[in-house]
Amino acid sequence: MQLKDKHNKTKSIREKLALATCALLQTAGSTAQAGDEWEIDSALMIYSENDSRVTAIEPIVSARKEMGEDKFFGVKLVLDALTGATPNGAHASGTAQTFTRPSGNGSYTVAAGENPLDDTFHDTRVALSADWEQPILDDMSRIIVGGNLSKEFDYRSLGVSATFLRDFNNRNTTFSAALGVNADTISPVGDVPTPFANMMVAGSGTNRDKASESKTITDLMFGVTQVIDRKTLMQFNLGLSSSSGYMNDPYKVLTVVDATGTRLAPVGNDLPYVYENRPDSRSRQTFYWKTVHHLNEDVINLAYRYHTDDWDINSHTIDLNYRYELNGGAYLQPHIRYYTQSAAEFFTHNILDTQVGVAQYASADYRLGELTTTTIGLKYALPFKGNQELSMRAESIVQSYSKVDSAVGTLAGDAGSQDIVPDLGAFVIQVGYSFYW
Amino acid sequence: MKKLFIFITFCLLMNSAAIKAESVKVPDFKLPTATGEITPAQFKGKVLYVDFWASWCKPCKQSFPWLNQLQQQYKDQGLVVIAINLDKERALADKFLQIIPANFIVAFDPEGNSASSFKVKGMPSSYLIDRDGNVQGRHTGFREKDIARLEQSVAKLLQQ
Amino acid sequence: MKQIVLLMLTAWVLAACSTVQPWEKDLLAKPSMALVADKLDNALDEHIYFSKEASLGGQGVGGGGCGCN
Repeated sequence: MQLKDKHNKTKSIREKLALATCALLQTAGSTAQAGDEWEIDSALMIYSENDSRVTAIEPIVSARKEMGEDKFFGVKLVLDALTGATPNGAHASGTAQTFTRPSGNGSYTVAAGENPLDDTFHDTRVALSADWEQPILDDMSRIIVGGNLSKEFDYRSLGVSATFLRDFNNRNTTFSAALGVNADTISPVGDVPTPFANMMVAGSGTNRDKASESKTITDLMFGVTQVIDRKTLMQFNLGLSSSSGYMNDPYKVLTVVDATGTRLAPVGNDLPYVYENRPDSRSRQTFYWKTVHHLNEDVINLAYRYHTDDWDINSHTIDLNYRYELNGGAYLQPHIRYYTQSAAEFFTHNILDTQVGVAQYASADYRLGELTTTTIGLKYALPFKGNQELSMRAESIVQSYSKVDSAVGTLAGDAGSQDIVPDLGAFVIQVGYSFYW
Repeated sequence: MKKLFIFITFCLLMNSAAIKAESVKVPDFKLPTATGEITPAQFKGKVLYVDFWASWCKPCKQSFPWLNQLQQQYKDQGLVVIAINLDKERALADKFLQIIPANFIVAFDPEGNSASSFKVKGMPSSYLIDRDGNVQGRHTGFREKDIARLEQSVAKLLQQ
Repeated sequence: MKQIVLLMLTAWVLAACSTVQPWEKDLLAKPSMALVADKLDNALDEHIYFSKEASLGGQGVGGGGCGCN
C-alpha cells in the first residue's frame, strides 16, 4: 500500500516535470536504428576551478559503427584546451615568495599568505583512440583491440590494449581478461629537473638538463559481469597495474625549511625550493564493483572502487547515479561521487634542509596527499526525432586536503600557521548531442 | 572451502543439464493470436517454423522481413510460420508490429511458458517441426550468414 | 587479496545459481541498463579525476596517459 502511494506520487511529479520540459518536442517511442549508420556521440565540456586556477574546454566526439555482423569499429577524438594556474608544490608563507618559471627565464611573485600557483600553464591536448570488436572462437566470445594516442606540447602517450570476453551460463555470466600497455614520454619546458636540486634565480641557470624522460605502464584486468536477476546486473573487476620509469612532476618543487619551519633564505642563485623526486616504479591493485539495478521505471547505478599501491596510497571511491525517467524517454540523473585517499609515503608539505640529499623521495604534490573529493551533479537528457538525444550536465566538485605530518618536513612555525591546504572548488558544465549518421 | 566448490559445481551442472536434452515431439502450447487461440495440433500435416521473439531484441527486427518472405515463398508447399512473442507487455509487441508488419501467425506468450518448454537458449530462437509434429531442427540468433542454411533446411523438410 | 578472491567466488556462486532466461532480458537489454550508459561522461570524468587524484583505473585497461598527472 505504502509502495503504491509512493509510486503514484512520483508519477505525478514525473508527469509535471516532463510536461514542463518537453511539451514542445514530439518524441517517437521506438528507435529503429539500422546497422549501417554511424552512432555519433558528441559533447562539449567546460571545467573551471575557482580562484582563477585551471579552466579546461574539452570537445569530445565518438563514432561507432557495425562493420559486418557483430563486428564494431569505434573511434574517439578529444581536444583539451587548458589555461590557468596550478600549484607549484611550494606552500603559502607569511612572506612574499618569488619563483622562477620552468623555462628558467622570467619569474613570478606570490604575495604573503597566498598559495603559490604557476600561471604559465597553457596547454592543448589532442587524444585519439580507436577500437575494434569482433567475435572470436565462437558465438560466445568476443575480443576488443584498441589503440590510443595522446599528444600535448610536453607530453606524448601511446598505448595498445586487448580485451577478451566470454559469455557463460546462458549468457548470464561474462568473464573478461584485459591487457594494456602504455608508453609515455615527457619533454618538460626547460628540460627535466635534477631531483632535489634547487630552483635557481631566473636567468642564472636551471638545474634542468635532460630533454625528456619516459615511463611504461602495464595494466592487467580480470572481471566478471553477472546477471543477478531480471532487473540487476553486477560487475566485479580486479585490476593490476605496474608503472616504471619517470614518475616525477617536473614542474613541482618543495619549500625548504629549517627545524623551526622557517623558509631558508636564498643562497647565491639557489632559491629555497628543490625539485621533487618519486620512486621510479609503482604497482597498483584495484578492486571495482558495480551494480546496475532497474526499479519500476528508474535505474540505479552504484559503483565502488578500492585502490591500493606500494606508494601507500589507499583510496575508496563511491559513485552513484540515479536515472529518474520522465515521460517520452527523457530523464533526470542526479550524480554523487565521494572519493578519499591516504597520502603517499613520501608526501610532505615541505622538506627540512637537513633532509635535502638525505631523503630518497619527497613530493609536495597535493594530489599525493590525504584528500577527499565530493562531487554532486545533475544531468538532463531529452530524446527527440526518435533517435537523437540532447543532454546537459552540471557538476560541482569540492576537494579538501589534510595537513599531514611527515618525517622529512615540518608543520612548525610559518608552514603550520598558514592555510597551506585550502579547499579547491570546481564546476563542470557539459552539453551533449547524440545522433545517427 | 571444499563445500563451497561442491556447491558451485552442483549449481553449474544444474544449469547445463537444464538446456541439454532436446524433445523430439513438439512441445504443446495453447496461445492467443489476434484472431484466436492456436495449438500445434491444428497444424498437423504442415511444416512449422516456430520463432520466438520480443520487441526489444535487435536481431528479431532483422528477421521479420525474411520470415515474411519465407512464409510467402513456401506457403503453397505447406509451411506455416508461427512467431511467438515473449514481451511482458502486449502493447510493446503491438507497437513493434505496427512498424514491422508480420504476414504470418503471431502468438502472444507474456508468461514465457512455451519458451520454457521449447528450452529457448537465446533471442530469437527458431524450431523446425516436420509434418508429423517432430522437432527436426533448432537455431539460436539471426545472422545474415545463417539465412541460406535456414532456408535450405526449410526447403528440405518440405520435400520429405 | 584473499577477501577479494572470496568475493569473486561469491559472485560465481550467484552466477551458477541465477537463471534469468533469454526472453526475460527485456529490461537488461535497455540502453539505460548498460554498465556504462553514458560513455562520454564517463570518459570525461575519468580524465578529470585522473588529473586531480592519485588513483585511476578499475573499469578497464588502456585509455591513455597525459601530462596532467
